[in-house]
This record gives sequence, structure tokens and C-alpha cells, in this order.
Amino acid sequence: MPHQCTSCGRTFPDGSKEMLSGCPDCGGNKFQFKPAGATEDAGSGGETGRASGSAPEASDRTPPAPDDQPAPDDQPAPDDQPAPDDQPVPDDGAADPTPGTPADATPADSPPSDAPASADPSPETDGTEQIADRSDEDTAQASARSEVVSPDELDRASREVDAVDTPEPPADDETQPGIDALRDELNDQFESIRIVSPGQYELNLMELYDRQEYIISLQEDGRYVIEMPDAWGIQDE
Amino acid sequence: MGLLTNLRDSISRVTDGLFAADEPKRIGIYGPPNAGKTTLANRIARDWTGDAVGPESHIPHETRRARRKEGVEIERNGRTVTIDIVDTPGVTTKVDYKEFLDHDMEKDDAVRRSREATEGVAEAMHWLREDVDGVIYVLDSTTDPFTQVNTMLIGIIESQDLPALILANKTDLPGSDVQQIANAFPQHETIPLSALEGDNMDEVYTKIAEYFG
Repeated sequence: MPHQCTSCGRTFPDGSKEMLSGCPDCGGNKFQFKPAGATEDAGSGGETGRASGSAPEASDRTPPAPDDQPAPDDQPAPDDQPAPDDQPVPDDGAADPTPGTPADATPADSPPSDAPASADPSPETDGTEQIADRSDEDTAQASARSEVVSPDELDRASREVDAVDTPEPPADDETQPGIDALRDELNDQFESIRIVSPGQYELNLMELYDRQEYIISLQEDGRYVIEMPDAWGIQDE
Repeated sequence: MGLLTNLRDSISRVTDGLFAADEPKRIGIYGPPNAGKTTLANRIARDWTGDAVGPESHIPHETRRARRKEGVEIERNGRTVTIDIVDTPGVTTKVDYKEFLDHDMEKDDAVRRSREATEGVAEAMHWLREDVDGVIYVLDSTTDPFTQVNTMLIGIIESQDLPALILANKTDLPGSDVQQIANAFPQHETIPLSALEGDNMDEVYTKIAEYFG
């Protein structure tokens, strides 16, 4: 269940195209990404029913077809994904924020009911550690389920990092292994435009060409936005 | 955006096909940033309509939205060819605001320009898929044409069976190497020109009429 609508909780399998026109159930266009191996969020389905208003309508319900995703040359192959064993298990939540962001900001926003699970290190096996780690992320994002990502938020997401002037991606690799792993996994699927840092973008031309919509990833864990080009238009002179 | 839109698009495509002979072809001017696409679009528009299409600049990504000039009538060999010109943002795989800082731009402006340029590339790719009947591919003949972007775009254009004219621009500059471009895309005809100086525009117009008329 790698993808979940943050408005109604509906889940989508890896590589699903069903959500590309917005959530078929509630029309939401904000999803969270859960890598394979993450625990199922049992309560997510009925947790919130607040639908978003600004999302595009559901349209095509294409069955999942993960294999037909184009694989651009410049994207990392799935084999390049770091193994779970390679990932340190941060105690303060997987969404280790960038410098300048309060380290406990994400967990503090989480619903209290999930807090004990988040705090539990669960050091039994590698897989369990990973699961505990991931549930931290999900809890953090659960607090934002009622919202729909707006262009303003896109902008803000960039500028928050901008304010502290994050140096270079290699520095991120040391502090945010989880985020990078998630980014890579998203890239493998369908990311069209990647925000490397504020004002720095990488574009997947084949994805942009192949898709009616285009997808912008945010810098936060597993959150991304699907943009529809209905506002586009050639300007007549 | 939904089923109705898709249906409308389908109908639109059918009707487009039925009346294609009567309507002017929509010709997209594509290429990497700073190849001279807008300079060419303005040259064509000024020569045949007296108007300009958009502002030109030596700073990359000056064009960040596709701009169209409709009903450009080009007369060649006693007949008139009418086309719509679409000047598109330069296509690239990376946009970095730092590139703009070298052009005396404030960081905030550079970041904003970078974001708009990124959206412009997305838009250009969108229009390439759906809204052009032919392509004028503009390359700066002073730079190496063997790039991922050029190879990918030419490949897409060929896969669409779109008529494509490759222009080796900036022949007025000392480092211009038209042959290098011709060698890079031997399957296409390469026309040298200087859109800025207006050099060899006669041949360009003849080829436009031939390819897109």
C-alpha cells in the first residue's frame, strides 16, 4: 500500500495510475507515500472524511500497470535503493528535518494517540525497526490529512529550506537518508519534476511528455502533488 | 478535467483531422534554452505580419510560457502558406537559479524565474504531445548538439511523425559549426541561418512552405 489519499484514506497499490487524476473517492490530490514494508494504517480509512475542494475530478480509472512506466536513463535503478539495513534509525522520527527546522516539529504535530508507538524504538529486527520508523512518518503526516496542498504550500515548502540555505544534496545524504531513499523510490515510479532545492529542479522529460498531468514532488517525506495542466494555455499575441 | 474533457478532446481531434486541410498548421518552435527560438519567432512574425511574438534576451529561459502568433501568411513561389507559430520555452532537464545569478539577478528573482522556467518546460512538453502539427527545431550552431535533450526531443518528434525542420542558428557568430549539427541529425535537413541578422531567411521560408504548407 505505497500510496494513501490524505483526505479519505483510500490506498493505492504501487504504480497505480488511478490516483493520477485525483482520488476517485473524494477528489483529493494530496497523497502520502508508504514504501513497501510499512505497516497498514488500520484506522486510516475512516479516520477523516473531510474532502478537499480544490482537487480535480476523478476521471480515468486505469487499472494499475506499474510495468509500463517509462524508465528514464538518468534515474536511479531500483537496485540502487539502499537496503533497509543501511538506514540508520533516527530516534526523533524518520522525517529528520533540514537544519533550522525544529527537530521535534514533526512528532509534536502528531495525534497523541499514536505517540507511544512512535516513541517505541522496537529494536527487534531490521524489518521491525523499519516499520516503527515508517509509522513515525505516517503519524506525522496524519495531522495534515484535512488539508489540500496549495500552490502557496508548494512555495512555502521550498522557502522553509531556503531560509536556512541548505548547502548541497550530498550534505542531505548524511542527515536525511530516509528522505533520500523515499525520493529515489518515488523517482522510480513517476516523478516528473523534482525539487532538488529551492530554485533547483530536475525534469523528467519523458514523464512530462507522456502524461496529461504532471507531478511535483515536495521535499517532505512521501508527500507530493499532482498538478493538472487545465490552467495551461498558449498565450496569443 | 475528466471524462467530458477527454471526450471533448477526442472529438476535437477527429474534427481537426476532418478539417486539417482548411486550417493553418500549428508549428511549434522547439529547442534548448538560448538557441534563438524567440528571435526566430519574432523574425518570422515581423517579416510577415509586422508584429513581434515575445521579448528576446540573452538570459536563458526568457520565454517561460508558450506564445502563439496566429495566421502568419508566408508567400513562396506564387502561393501562400498560412501557419500558426508557437514559440515555446526552452527545454532542459535541469533548471538552476544559480545560472541566473550570473546575469545580475537577485536571488529571489532568480529562484522565481527558475520555477517559472520549470513550469514552462512542462508546458512545452505538454504542447508537443497534443497541440503542434509540425516542429521547427532551433539549435545554437556554436554549441554541441549531442545532448540528451536534443536526442530525446528529436526522438519524440520522429515518433510522432511530425514534420520537422532543423535550423542551425547563430551563423553570424565566430564559433558556428553548421556541419556539426547536420552530422548530429543526418536523417533531417539542416538549414543554417542567423535569426538575429536575418541571414538566409529566404531559404528558411522556402523550407517552411515546403514542410508545413
